[in-house]
Amino acid sequence: MTAADTAAPKRTARTPRKPRDRVRKASFTQALNNALDLAMSKHAEMFVIGEDIAEMGGDFGVTKGLLAKYGPERVRDTPLSEAAIIGTCAGAAMVGMRPVAEIMFADFIAECYDQVVNNVAKMHYMFDGQFKAPLVIRTACGGGFGGGPHHSQSVEGWFLNVPGIVIVAPSNPVDAKGLLLASIDSDDPVLFLEHKALYRSRAEVPPEYYTTPLGQAAIAREGSDVTVVAAMRMVPMALEAAEQAAADSGISVEVVDLRTIRPYDAATVLAAAAKTGRVVVANEAPRIGGLGAELSARISEECFADLKGPVVRVDGLDTPIPFSVPLEDVVLPGTQDIAAAINAAAQY
Amino acid sequence: METSTLLGLYRDMWLIRAFEQGLEREFEKGNVPGMLHTGLGQEATQAALAWHLEATDAFFPDHRCHGINALAQHRHGGNGERIMAELFGKSTGVCGGKGGSLHSADPAVGNFGDNAVEGSYMATVLGVALAAKMRGRPNVACAIIGDGTVGRGEFHESLNMAAIWDLPVLYACVNNGYAISMPVGDGHASADIVDMVQGYGFESRQLDGNDIVEAWTVVGEAVEHIRSGAGPYFLEFKTWRWQGIFAGEFRPEAEVKYWKEERDPIMLAGEALAGRGVDGADLDAIEKEAAGLIDEWIAFAIESPEPDPAKATADVYVGWEVDPR
Repeated sequence: MTAADTAAPKRTARTPRKPRDRVRKASFTQALNNALDLAMSKHAEMFVIGEDIAEMGGDFGVTKGLLAKYGPERVRDTPLSEAAIIGTCAGAAMVGMRPVAEIMFADFIAECYDQVVNNVAKMHYMFDGQFKAPLVIRTACGGGFGGGPHHSQSVEGWFLNVPGIVIVAPSNPVDAKGLLLASIDSDDPVLFLEHKALYRSRAEVPPEYYTTPLGQAAIAREGSDVTVVAAMRMVPMALEAAEQAAADSGISVEVVDLRTIRPYDAATVLAAAAKTGRVVVANEAPRIGGLGAELSARISEECFADLKGPVVRVDGLDTPIPFSVPLEDVVLPGTQDIAAAINAAAQY
Repeated sequence: METSTLLGLYRDMWLIRAFEQGLEREFEKGNVPGMLHTGLGQEATQAALAWHLEATDAFFPDHRCHGINALAQHRHGGNGERIMAELFGKSTGVCGGKGGSLHSADPAVGNFGDNAVEGSYMATVLGVALAAKMRGRPNVACAIIGDGTVGRGEFHESLNMAAIWDLPVLYACVNNGYAISMPVGDGHASADIVDMVQGYGFESRQLDGNDIVEAWTVVGEAVEHIRSGAGPYFLEFKTWRWQGIFAGEFRPEAEVKYWKEERDPIMLAGEALAGRGVDGADLDAIEKEAAGLIDEWIAFAIESPEPDPAKATADVYVGWEVDPR
């Protein structure tokens, strides 16, 4: 016991304060912020760049406090010039720096699509390995909050057909930190998707530096009857649907959290699919040409003998995302859609 | 300008012309795959830029820049034949045949490669320049663009950002009068690109891109300006390309005749050298020497092996192998 402890004033409130968590839970946003801070300490030639990311700390607060700590050279505000933001990162990466760009909303990536697809993703290949593009493009994606057609999209499908790009898509704060640190360490260009609905999710996030390997899925829940393969916000929804299925119908659900969407962990996905023989693939983007299409095709091709029924897809309707929340609810998949898909797969 | 410098530039221009003419012959024979865009007629502009850019600088060439690529490779790498081999798609090319005419790069000689979505490296050049600035190095990052590129959004995003951050960028805009088939004045608010650039507030200048003495002098001043930390510089080289379009020649006969017969940059430099008392036989020897060197490079390219098929799946990622199926 120290003097400070004995000197602590006695609480006078009638209701005693709840005992404090041993490790304070951090939000997804705080985990990302902490990752950027640790990475900037580690890599002297890392800088972050984007719209309103310096003084303001970004639209979602992910870069908050970095300006004060690392200064305006390394925490760089830009005009509304997405192509120039990614071009700046690409050029700096070509000469060995480690830039991290923030594209405020994933929808705005359309403004720099050429830079990502034709320049960043192909640079290492088309110049025969002479250049690397070790940059990270962080961006806020996903719907469910009335953001409307240009602030709600899930863009992974736009990049699935682009060899050379890595697509990272965390589902929880612990992975978000580890995956972002691994992305910054990576010598490949990473599109880092942050689902907006996850920013406020909380978990016990280890405060120290750690990385979560890219290209490796995680088994978020073990089960034996139905396998759900999901990413980002679909993972907590799948976990909830799995609990429901267990409680309501005694169905045991395994949930695979992809974590990296490209190149994805086929070994883990296929093993989990073969294990139960009944598979649901869940993602938020529109169905045609999306992640679900790829996963469904691959699982059907490679696990055909093990499957007890067709792979069931849960995904967004093939529409833009409307502003009205009731309409948005129609378009975007939710926990109940996954639960229904689990039942359909189990009963086939 | 010293006569020895002018002679050196004359030699460089002949190297470019011999390179492009040799390439045209091989293209006709079917030895060069893909598309062919030559820099014939623009030799003075390219030779002036190549002269002043060091291997530690960075330039992003455009699709007509075989000449500057070859000069940089020849001068800084001692292996200009590797640019020729790249255009033949051969394993000995600077990109092992994976880039070709539109994506030849070798950072060891300062060549950061063309991105064939012309002008998109207007954005990329910013990052190379920013890195030089953050590292406190006196390097120049140069984007060589055509007049057609001025219509792209990246052009304006780039000029704006270079201006607000005071970046060491040399914009070398080769105004050859046409974006494929569209006359420059029809496609842009001004046929004089510098007029559009003025608003960005940094140094800009229009010059005669077919006058090697003027081009060499002005590029030297711009590079000096940038190296001193004084910010970006925009140059507009007024020139004309000899190559028409795929369908053939579409420009008025008188215009073609004027540029080819009266404004040929090599002919003009030859006249200037003759005026300084250089012997015609010495000039002929330079021309022959260039042609001989290019013949060697072409032979090297033809004799070089095709790339190993395994290279098709190499270097997609640094950290992953791609399944060859």
